[in-house]
Amino acid sequence: MIHRLLIANRGEIAVRIARACAELAIESVAVFSDADARALHVLVADRAVPLGGSAAIESYLSIPKILAAAQSVGADAIHPGYGFLSESAALATACERSGVVFVGPPSTVMGKMGSKIEARRLVQSAGIPVVPGETPADQSSDGVRRALERLGFPALLKASAGGGGKGMRRVRDGDDVVAHIESARREAHAAFGDGTLYVERLLDAPHHIEVQVCADGAGRAGHLFERECSVQRRHQKVIEESPSPNVTDDLRQRMVSAALRIVEAASYRNVGTIEFLVDSAKGGKDAGFYFLEMNTRLQVEHPVTELVTGVDLVRAQLGVASGEALPWRQADLAQRGHAIEARIYAEDPAANFLPQAGRLLLYREPQMPGVRVDSGVREGIDVGVHYDPLLAKVIAQGETRSQAIARLVQAFRGFPILGIRTNVPLLLAILEHPTFVAGSMHTGSLDAELSALLNQLPTMPPPFVQAAVRHATARGAKDAGRTNASWDPWHRLSWWRS
Amino acid sequence: MAPIVLVALVTTPPLVVTDVGNGAYLVEHDGRLEVVFVAGGADAPWAFWNGYVFHGVPGNDRSPLRGRQEFASLHHHPPRGAAQTLAAPMPATVVKVLVQPGAEVKSGDALIVLEAMKMELPLRAPADARVKAVHCREGELVSPETILVELE
Repeated sequence: MIHRLLIANRGEIAVRIARACAELAIESVAVFSDADARALHVLVADRAVPLGGSAAIESYLSIPKILAAAQSVGADAIHPGYGFLSESAALATACERSGVVFVGPPSTVMGKMGSKIEARRLVQSAGIPVVPGETPADQSSDGVRRALERLGFPALLKASAGGGGKGMRRVRDGDDVVAHIESARREAHAAFGDGTLYVERLLDAPHHIEVQVCADGAGRAGHLFERECSVQRRHQKVIEESPSPNVTDDLRQRMVSAALRIVEAASYRNVGTIEFLVDSAKGGKDAGFYFLEMNTRLQVEHPVTELVTGVDLVRAQLGVASGEALPWRQADLAQRGHAIEARIYAEDPAANFLPQAGRLLLYREPQMPGVRVDSGVREGIDVGVHYDPLLAKVIAQGETRSQAIARLVQAFRGFPILGIRTNVPLLLAILEHPTFVAGSMHTGSLDAELSALLNQLPTMPPPFVQAAVRHATARGAKDAGRTNASWDPWHRLSWWRS
Repeated sequence: MAPIVLVALVTTPPLVVTDVGNGAYLVEHDGRLEVVFVAGGADAPWAFWNGYVFHGVPGNDRSPLRGRQEFASLHHHPPRGAAQTLAAPMPATVVKVLVQPGAEVKSGDALIVLEAMKMELPLRAPADARVKAVHCREGELVSPETILVELE
């Protein structure tokens, strides 16, 4: 049993975990940086320990500070949330050494699944397909070209040493392959000091579909079906849903059994997610799926699974960490209805997604049927620049996918956030886009449609909005002691669109 | 939704606004009641309606979007040949200074890389120019409006 749990995180996930603790009569301990002294997660927890610092590296990423905080309050467990230290095998090891329960997999399993190369090897040995690719032993231009031809086109050239798009080239049939190889090598060398190239099959228009799993580390494991997360901007998920509109019963069956084989091969314990790319070029029975990576932690998008299965994943996670058995039987689980989550980011889509900072002057969460809001902020706080710009997640549930979409749209139309700009207008444009409504967005769709979506956002407030502002601010001006009766903001203001 | 032209203000009859408290206002429009939320001061008000957010800024008659599409917004539009300044658009950390005074830069060249909220944001030259002065160092935390680079 866990009695006192330190939550080594901030924002909405820290709030989510603290609420689960309250239900389970576990005492929750928040930690906070100087910038977060007034943050919501501090108010929600039973105790709070200051970490000092504001930069993540001096606060939420500091293993010594987190461990010292746990010891100072006598916490018997640490929940890392997602992001920050959640995939740090070093924190898991430190917890194991100091006798504190780490709410996650054993450090050895984490280290293994956290390394892309080792995870790939393990998954292949379990007979699960990975996106075909290799680091050619012969790195000469001719050798790399032969490796590309073995894979088939289109293909992707990548820097073996790192990511971030550096050294990455799409190679299509008929391209000057050697020129691509040589420029990719130059770029890889400039970025990483290592020109070694990796070649990979390029899946055209793939879907990102992942399977939620939970295992107790003693051989009992279950899955909680799939989530589709294909609506991404530059590889960052924006909208997630369950069930996937692109998965047939047959494909689902094959994917969940592959996920469970991976869990077994890894001797996994904790909730976790197996991410796959699904090749949409081949539909039906032949639909191919490829292992992408495993996330050894709770995910941002876990609520969509909770809403369609009725399972509380944080409760399951805490139970498994305490050595209890899984709290449900696989046969009792089903996907009921549909759930969709959209993430609210403090960023301005009309200004190149520039992160936004400022005070939340007005923040009123919607309260309506089938809508859940997991939030890390409250009205009046300052949103800073130190951490991830995720403010809140809105998750809508419905009997059908179209009802869930309608509810999510209604939620955003009734969720005023003022003082900083957010991506909400873009979320609305996506939710009403015919490709999204049809359920056929793949991982490249949003990037391809982005400028068209942005162009349809309103730039000027309608006259009745202007009338409301005039009414509100004229009174405000009078209250502030101004006497100029002819004061009119419209002569001096111009509007920036959202 | 198509942009609504300001001329509408002149031709529309006066709209009745009711303050229903806590920043919420009801406006009757075309027989419908619209709910508008308003916050912020009179010189830079914010308004929310139907999922959209509008923010007024004082004394600015440029196109509402100019300078916001690109991270590297010019604070002033001086005549050609005069000095131009590039400022920080938000609180951020300077992670890289890529140019030194005297350097010739081309339009679109990254001059400074800022970091805020875990994202790197390059500040780019708006036109071919020569760097007159650099007013920041790597690692420095800069506040909005701080002039970082002068070009000529």
